[in-house]
Amino acid sequence: MGRPGFVLDVDERTPPLLMHEGEGFRLERLPLGSRVIYPPESLPAIVDLEGAIRHALAHPHGSDPLSQLLRRGMRLTIVFDDLSLPLPPMRTPDVRQRVIEQVLEMAATAGVDDVELIAANSLHRRMTPAELKRTVGERVFRAFHPDHLRNHDAEDPGALAHLGTTPHGEDVEINRRAAESDLIVYVNITLTAMNGGSKSVSVGLASYNSLRHHHNVHTLRHSRSFNDPANSAMHHSYDRMADVIGGHVPVFTIETTLNNEPFPAALRFLTRREWEWNLTDQASYLAVKRSNDLATTKLRRRIWQATEAPYGITGVHAGAPSQVHPHTLAAVHRQQLTEVRGQADVAIFGLPYICPYNVNSIMNPILVMSLGLGYFFNLYRGQPIVRQGGVAIFYHSMPHEFHPVHHPSYIDFYELLTETTDPVMLETKYEKQFATDPWYIHLYRNSYAYHGVHPFYMWYWGAHALQHLDDVIFVGGDRSTTGRLGFRAASTLADALELARDTVGGDPQISYLHAPPMVLADVR
Amino acid sequence: MNLALEYRRSAGRYFAARAISYTRTGGRLAGALASNMAPLRLVEQVDPVPGDESWTRIEPVLSGICGSDLGLLTGRSSPYLGPLTSMPFVLGHEVVGRTLDELPGLPRGSRVVIDPVLRCAARSLPACPACLEGDTCRCDRITTGGLAAGLQTGFCADTGGGWSRRMLAHASQLHPVPDPMPDEIAVLVEPLACAVHAVRRVPISPGASVLVVGAGTVGLLTLLALRKLTAAGEVHVIAKHRHQADRARELGATQVIGADGAVRAIRRSTGALLVEPELGEDYLLGGMDLAFECTGASGGLNTALRSLRAGGTVVASGMPAGGVDLTPLWFRELRLVGAYASAIGEEPGKGDFPEAIALATAAPLDGYVDMKYPLDQWRDAVDHAAAAGRLGTIKVVFAPGRG
Amino acid sequence: MSGLRDELRLLRQGRDWRGRARVPRSAQPWELPEACDDFPTAWARTAAAGTLRHVLQQGVLKPVVWSQTRPMVHGSEYLDGIRGPAIFVANHSSHLDTPLVLGSLPSRITKKLAVGAAADYFFDSRTIAAATTLLFNAFPVDRRASRRDRSLAAELVEDGWSLLLYPEGTRTVDGWLTAFKLGAAQLCAMKRVPAVPIALRGTFAAMPRGRRWPRPGRPRVTVRIGRPLYIGVDESVPEFRARLVRAVATLWAETELGWYRALRAAADDSLALPTGSRSVLPTTASGQPADDHDMAPWRRVWEATRPPAEDGPRQVWTD
Repeated sequence: MGRPGFVLDVDERTPPLLMHEGEGFRLERLPLGSRVIYPPESLPAIVDLEGAIRHALAHPHGSDPLSQLLRRGMRLTIVFDDLSLPLPPMRTPDVRQRVIEQVLEMAATAGVDDVELIAANSLHRRMTPAELKRTVGERVFRAFHPDHLRNHDAEDPGALAHLGTTPHGEDVEINRRAAESDLIVYVNITLTAMNGGSKSVSVGLASYNSLRHHHNVHTLRHSRSFNDPANSAMHHSYDRMADVIGGHVPVFTIETTLNNEPFPAALRFLTRREWEWNLTDQASYLAVKRSNDLATTKLRRRIWQATEAPYGITGVHAGAPSQVHPHTLAAVHRQQLTEVRGQADVAIFGLPYICPYNVNSIMNPILVMSLGLGYFFNLYRGQPIVRQGGVAIFYHSMPHEFHPVHHPSYIDFYELLTETTDPVMLETKYEKQFATDPWYIHLYRNSYAYHGVHPFYMWYWGAHALQHLDDVIFVGGDRSTTGRLGFRAASTLADALELARDTVGGDPQISYLHAPPMVLADVR
Repeated sequence: MNLALEYRRSAGRYFAARAISYTRTGGRLAGALASNMAPLRLVEQVDPVPGDESWTRIEPVLSGICGSDLGLLTGRSSPYLGPLTSMPFVLGHEVVGRTLDELPGLPRGSRVVIDPVLRCAARSLPACPACLEGDTCRCDRITTGGLAAGLQTGFCADTGGGWSRRMLAHASQLHPVPDPMPDEIAVLVEPLACAVHAVRRVPISPGASVLVVGAGTVGLLTLLALRKLTAAGEVHVIAKHRHQADRARELGATQVIGADGAVRAIRRSTGALLVEPELGEDYLLGGMDLAFECTGASGGLNTALRSLRAGGTVVASGMPAGGVDLTPLWFRELRLVGAYASAIGEEPGKGDFPEAIALATAAPLDGYVDMKYPLDQWRDAVDHAAAAGRLGTIKVVFAPGRG
Repeated sequence: MSGLRDELRLLRQGRDWRGRARVPRSAQPWELPEACDDFPTAWARTAAAGTLRHVLQQGVLKPVVWSQTRPMVHGSEYLDGIRGPAIFVANHSSHLDTPLVLGSLPSRITKKLAVGAAADYFFDSRTIAAATTLLFNAFPVDRRASRRDRSLAAELVEDGWSLLLYPEGTRTVDGWLTAFKLGAAQLCAMKRVPAVPIALRGTFAAMPRGRRWPRPGRPRVTVRIGRPLYIGVDESVPEFRARLVRAVATLWAETELGWYRALRAAADDSLALPTGSRSVLPTTASGQPADDHDMAPWRRVWEATRPPAEDGPRQVWTD
């Protein structure tokens, strides 16, 4: 198995195609001649994962083997990617657990006493103890929680260290404990090409003071796309910061890559090509679709959020971050890259129920925007899937729902949108206010809330798309929320295309990005 | 003969309306209740006769329906006010009309607005301490003297009220209307005078942040007064309806907030901490400096109390109805200030009414009065007034001369 | 329930009644190799299915075939020595071939016999696959891709099943004998089992490709079973295959030449044998071999369908 990704031209014999739409999915007939970008099929997973990790730690890229970096009396800080990776959360044991256990095994052998584990949650909400336990495993949790297994706190002035500025004048301020360690071991999961590399430490452990240099409208408008580090201004900034960090503390990173199996076997049809659906697939489509549609909102969300991905690991690479990352990127590209010829007038995206910021939570309208115009729109390399001045059509019902505990600042940010939806206006007028709002800071530090500035970042995430697109239409979108965000709602695809007619004419070239599973369009 | 809408004593109707309007659904049915259950009737009366030469007959041109009128009709107003009225009376205290008798310095046929407070001067009494100070709205003699009990014109059996074709007014109550001012704006002078009075009740330091709860007539006019008479900084207005929000922005509101999540929105702009008790509404630690409660509903006062910084001030402009949890008043050491009607002030010509007339001349108040009912359509008028916000109207008035 | 109906209608779009969709044109380069071995056949090798099959073969299939044709079976006596699995190797020109062979072999063998059937032909549709599997105990053979490692045939032999294979890989187009593929010989070499050559004559004339029923008039057909062949210790698979071809060709020639002359002709190398893409007639009705590859198609069919001389007293010795 493991056929490469390809671009389907919809012809008369193409059956209706699967489309994600929030906590649900549907079959949709696309107009003849539409192009559908399919991801490569899932690559085989590493069978002996323990062995692969051991091998990676013993034969790192650009570094001595980990065992030689560990010594008695040192300060060791193990940092790991937080709840936002992978999506959906992977079936336990999480690969981070497996890596951390081996690292700790080595540390124990070397006699290291001072070990801290820190979740690199940056301005994301803290992970709950249960979520931490799920990520690092029972054994690690019991040995380190709560004093030595913690969330990064970007608003604890005493726990941040300013390491200097980059040649571009960007502040580099990260977690003090990590900065003052003798070694940082970073345990990463790279789900998309934007993850990992320099981003890990320079973003995951940073403060608002540091993040504002790359998480802003200007940078994001010049990150084309942010899934292509070579052409991403944001990643260039990460690199500069990583250099400053590297001058203070050695970082040993372990990056893992995943295959394309985000859904359990019962939902296998979600990952199969529609014309290859057998009767079982069709029956489970019908059964799942019907029961999903009939379920109450609450139940539906519970079930989707309880979904665990049977991800397999396709690669484990360890060593110096800059040396490791090319290998990681290659593995990601092998699994996700599909070549597409030319741009379309209209791009269609089916947005799934989950994004990095609503794990065990609610996908609010702001997150829908960032998932669609941020993450999905930027799933390209080279040039965007849709041409400048084109139209993007998304599938999501965009209900007006917010998680009161996780997203308090989002609730207020949503109100700002009545005034303007322009990222620059929002940035200049309100970012500072939200970022320094003491209540949000309080909730970020003591409750489980995303930082006050986080909704702004979500909006900036879509800044490039907002600049690039002439019209954004949500099929099935709630009219009032869609309108609030500055987009249009349509009840069917036909209506959406009718709306798009003003912008792209009556016979547009349509491309549908068939994801998830993850696909990165290499648009030539 | 005079045609008038008379309010008469009817304990049964009063208590029935009161009982229903205090239930949850009853509250929503206020309009239907007011027009069907109100102890109100259209009667033919003999024309009122002025007592002496300081009184004049007035022919009301336009006469507004005030929130306190509706409160009375739906049984929401407090029995506290009962002894301050004399039955039967004709409602209507927001009046623009023409004088029908010659008065010293005011020729017959002048267009006037009426300060409705029936204070010592109108009662042929020597001025009480309050009246002496110019705080005429605080007059203590409103139940005695040469007139039947009545806190205002429109609640007194002897003077009649605006909801009729003839009424009486004392010379001290009259304020001539400048000729260019249309009737539709002149009828707003009385409520605007109340708003001016409310704003003058408290010191407002430059840059102070102010919350106006409610964007009906009182709320909007309070906002107008705040912007014209004070140097308040941010003024946030809680408006339930779209047209109210538009008008509030027109009058200079910094931010217009929907009725839902108002406390949150205030928190957002002030950076206060939001606290969520397990029972009851959220409140702020920190918040606005001042609040003007302009709805007359307990919910409005509640919101105001929960949105103020410690040491802040709430001005109750609307006639309060229902109980409120005063814990924040105690805990946050708030000041609660009442603001009733208007005063003539100590300096002649600087009273609330002259100020209101001056403001009304320049303010963008066109379109506030968009529905004029003849008296015989009073049920429709009361229905409309009870649902004014929802129906896109600010002020509903009677045009008693019509029909 | 209208939602369900809508969903069903949507699902049905672009799919046939069995729920299969055509591969969109642009997706064809990425088509999965036909998942022929997906069709389960193990159920057909259970005792119950075996009993049912025996009843169907003896009670329906054989009477029908024997009533529509006049089969002559020779050489059954060679089978007496066979214990355990064997590979039956026959030339193939008609759908009559399998029922004929099954009807000709003793039931002690047919009860433990599985038939290799073209995966892309017989296992293409589920109903036909099910019927073929039940009636003939067929199992899918992929005749294009070589997936020897996953071959079901080897497993079956290990489990004690005899196999009937047609190493030509397909029914002949013109009645001529085509070259054998390596598979059958390889299986014999791998599992050390004997190969039993079988020549079928007259089936091409009786029911060639494209006919669904034998032509009227009870055409004569002949089943000649040969002596089992064992692969030699030093013999290579291609050599053994050559021996198999020669054995089948010899049996073929017996119809015209008789037993001994056929043996002589084989010994003299005067029988035509297929090589590569060259198909041959080991002997024609006139007794002469034909391997003229340039012959016009009609002449090839003409030769192949020439009725054999009526059975007269057979001359063992020629003058």
